Amino acid sequence: MSEVQRRKYSQEEKNAIFDGEFMPHIDSMYNFGYRLTFDGDDAKDLVQDTYLKAYRFINSFEQGTNAKAWLFRILKNSFINEYRKKSKQPTKVDYQEVETYYNSDDVHYQSTSDLRAESVKDMLGDEISNALNSLAVDFRTVIILCDLEGFTYEEMAKILDIPIGTVRSRLHRARNLLKEKLQGYAQNMGYKTDADEENID
Amino acid sequence: MNEEKSGDRKMKCGDESKCFELLESILDGELQDSSKEVLSEKLAKCQPCFEHYHLEQAIRDVLKTKCTKQAVPTELADLIRQQIQDIK
Repeated sequence: MSEVQRRKYSQEEKNAIFDGEFMPHIDSMYNFGYRLTFDGDDAKDLVQDTYLKAYRFINSFEQGTNAKAWLFRILKNSFINEYRKKSKQPTKVDYQEVETYYNSDDVHYQSTSDLRAESVKDMLGDEISNALNSLAVDFRTVIILCDLEGFTYEEMAKILDIPIGTVRSRLHRARNLLKEKLQGYAQNMGYKTDADEENID
Repeated sequence: MNEEKSGDRKMKCGDESKCFELLESILDGELQDSSKEVLSEKLAKCQPCFEHYHLEQAIRDVLKTKCTKQAVPTELADLIRQQIQDIK
């Protein structure tokens, strides 16, 4: 049987795990909550809720495993189960946009963008953040987890409860959508793209 | 920046889909050192791969370094500790 026999932590051990392994991630947790909800109060609620659940279920946390990934998974589930339910913001659009992309994990990788590395490097933090924030939440989430928080595909698969193949294809699609947004900014700002160059006489 | 001249590289990639998938996995840290040799060889020989790799790398770099971060409200940690005290 793969069922691990869970030990019960003593009060001292609980406190040590909570302070030593959980609380150091409060900064990442708050920013994850903020990037999901775009609201400081909602982010605060999500983080508080996550830490309370983490404490309540601390016996199911295995010491020595990745506490940050464990906490992110709780926050993500709270966001889906509670925040989205009570939120007045329509999420239908997200799902539709996502669904049309999700018919298969089988992605054909190709160059979809005339965007240049040099233009990307010149972009401002606000432009990058706005482009990221404009993505549907499922696409935004994989980029946050991978590029901003540095989780591996395997950790992301556990946090999101999806297969690794889906992590990989969703990330690829998310970055392509991001590139489209950035390309729009690049053209508006007069950065050079390959498309521009081809139009030069 | 891109020191190597593009003149030595082929302008069309024979298997873009497979190559780009490999490049993106390497950039995400999902492939081990053995693939690094394949990578440098590929980048030296193929212009589309070279450009794709550097664009994807730039995207990852700006996301990591330039995204605006929110400061955690100062009272949040204390609030959480207080709530934990209450349920202990």
